[in-house]
Amino acid sequence: MKKSLVMMLTLLFVATSLLAACGNSSSGNSGDTAAGNNSKPAEEKKVEPFELTLRHTQLGEAKKNRFAILEDAVKATEAEVDGLTIKLDGVDSEVNRKEKLRGEMAQGNPPDIFDAFGSPDVGVYAKEGLVLDITSILEELGIKERFGTSLDPWTVDGKVYGTPIGGSIEGYFYNKEYFEQKGLKVPTTIAELEQLAEKIKADGKIPFAQASKDAWVPLMTTNNLWAYTAGSDFTYGFKKGETKWNDPKMVEALAKHQEWIQKGYYKKGELGLAYGDQRNQIINGEAIMMFDGSWANSVFLDPAQSGDMVGKIGFFLMPPFNAGDGYSIMQDSNNGYSFSAKVADDPQKLAAVKSFIKNLYSEEMQIRGLKEDGLLPAMQIPTEKMNEAVTNDLMKEIIGTLADVKYKWPAFDALVQADVNTELSKEIQKMIGGEATPQEVLDKVQAVQEKANASE
Amino acid sequence: MDKTLRKPLTYILFVLPALILFIAFFIYPIMDAIYYSFTSWNGISKNVKFIGIENYTTVMSDGEFWSSVKNNGYFILFSLFIQVPIIIIFSLLISNVKRLRGLYKTAVFMPSVMSTAVIGILWGFIYEPDIGLFNQILSVFGVEKIYWLSDKSWAMISILITNAWQWTGFYIVMVLAAILSIPKELDEAAMIDGATGVQRAIRITVPLIMPIISVVIMLSIAGAMKAADIVLVMTKGGPAGATDVMATFMLRNSITSFKYGFGNSIAVLIFVFTLVITALYQFLVARRVERIEY
Repeated sequence: MKKSLVMMLTLLFVATSLLAACGNSSSGNSGDTAAGNNSKPAEEKKVEPFELTLRHTQLGEAKKNRFAILEDAVKATEAEVDGLTIKLDGVDSEVNRKEKLRGEMAQGNPPDIFDAFGSPDVGVYAKEGLVLDITSILEELGIKERFGTSLDPWTVDGKVYGTPIGGSIEGYFYNKEYFEQKGLKVPTTIAELEQLAEKIKADGKIPFAQASKDAWVPLMTTNNLWAYTAGSDFTYGFKKGETKWNDPKMVEALAKHQEWIQKGYYKKGELGLAYGDQRNQIINGEAIMMFDGSWANSVFLDPAQSGDMVGKIGFFLMPPFNAGDGYSIMQDSNNGYSFSAKVADDPQKLAAVKSFIKNLYSEEMQIRGLKEDGLLPAMQIPTEKMNEAVTNDLMKEIIGTLADVKYKWPAFDALVQADVNTELSKEIQKMIGGEATPQEVLDKVQAVQEKANASE
Repeated sequence: MDKTLRKPLTYILFVLPALILFIAFFIYPIMDAIYYSFTSWNGISKNVKFIGIENYTTVMSDGEFWSSVKNNGYFILFSLFIQVPIIIIFSLLISNVKRLRGLYKTAVFMPSVMSTAVIGILWGFIYEPDIGLFNQILSVFGVEKIYWLSDKSWAMISILITNAWQWTGFYIVMVLAAILSIPKELDEAAMIDGATGVQRAIRITVPLIMPIISVVIMLSIAGAMKAADIVLVMTKGGPAGATDVMATFMLRNSITSFKYGFGNSIAVLIFVFTLVITALYQFLVARRVERIEY
């Protein structure tokens, strides 16, 4: 009798534990903060209260300024829309992009507003009808045109499915002190850049800092080179089958990059170096120039990271092959916010989304992003206003280069299928490692491109 | 006799929770992966297109996939012929230490409790071409700089050494426990008969710990087949895919490219290969050394 009682109790305990484990654990584990003053007087609440979930990735010390801007936009939206509470759900960027959001999309249940990457991610979600088409909202607010090419990664078949948080450009960070000491000048053509590289190499320094463990790092240089040799619009044609990767103009660009590698303009063994290493090469004076995104400016402004190099770093764009051809630069705008397609079914939520877009994508907020976060605006803002906003010389230099820009284009990975990016990433490393010629690299990439185009 | 224990229902009820968990977290995902491996699916769409064995033919005809299989093979061979002998030698040495045995055990076990990310960074410094420990030592002997992680002829062996360093201590502790459980009398009797230390180790200790060595080999094979983290941390499969193993090949060519159907076919292949190799080892080798009687 005793045994059976003990057994029944044990069974009960196991069953209870199991049920408890399977129970709803939503309470108190989200770490969300329903931002804003929700305590409106009862008499003002004439509409039914409703909630909007906002998935963001602004976590940690490095993103605190960007989070503050988001919080302010959220507060303004809550104040504007009666009954609205926005529930903030913070998730690590990689976890959100690769796991959580994809899982939610597979379930057909993404958050109302979510941090996303325009291409290829939002493109895939949009084709499944999971993302809200915000073209009419942007037009109604009168801000669509102000984004310019920034909306390209977010556009599928002429419809816009998201908006970028900010933008960035790419160019050369360089050791200004070294340039002054050696009497070197910022180059205005590729030939002058090569002459500079020769002089620096002859001086025993590494001309270009580059760490190619991640293929996207060297591909920044390659992409800019082919924008000059083949044209800034050339990349748009790959997906449509209008242009080919193995076009002679593309081969010319890769051959130029390969030539620089063969001439020893980069550190030997760069394929094993992680992204951070190229910054270290500049900071410790080993290398003199570094092709990188404008986002790297924060490193060179931080004494903890750059030490004595703070204030000694300048910035210039990759010059054209021929003087007077005009500067052509990559302007990245692939990270931003998209909205669940289900929002369209609820007029209250749709109004809230519209208000959120209005409050986040204003000139004031874009300038705050530049000033507080060093993030270039995704929207077109007059250069004078941007100059007024920034106080440090490096950022002023970066903004100053924009005046010379003739062509702007999104990075190639925002315009081609993920398969193509994977193949090019692998093949460019082979070229850097001396295992493949530019022609071989591009022939392989073209083959993958054709396959990807055929499967769409 | 208690009647409750005679009822099959009682046993079923006790087994049920574990069975449910086993089905939910093992059987169901395997079946799911097998199903999706025959489809073209982006991981999101409701439209899952059945494409037969196309994913399998694509991956099997991809030279880079076989190159990654070969790299998994290197993991296994390195474990069997380098790591396991080292494990045995170190276990024998530590078992004969009279003082500070605990310290040695802790020291060798330490790497296995460290995160792979930390180990990747640590060994990244050791392999650093300019100031790294290895090149510093080699330069004393006039050996030219080796680009451990950038040169495809060195990258794989660099990862294998790091991986072995991480897990050797864990297996040493296992083998050591087996050695210390051998009755002392056996060793003492051999000693009285005039057997040397090496003879006693080879003729008595090693044969008696064969079951645990067999387990170590099995775990090494299984670990080698699913290796991914150390590769991702150290080289990300580079340079140019030279250190890709099956799991990193799968991540690079499917998950990041929204090709979940294709990814599942690679996952199923990893599962099948692992199953076949471990089953072969179990039937051909392990069963023969299962029982030891003193």
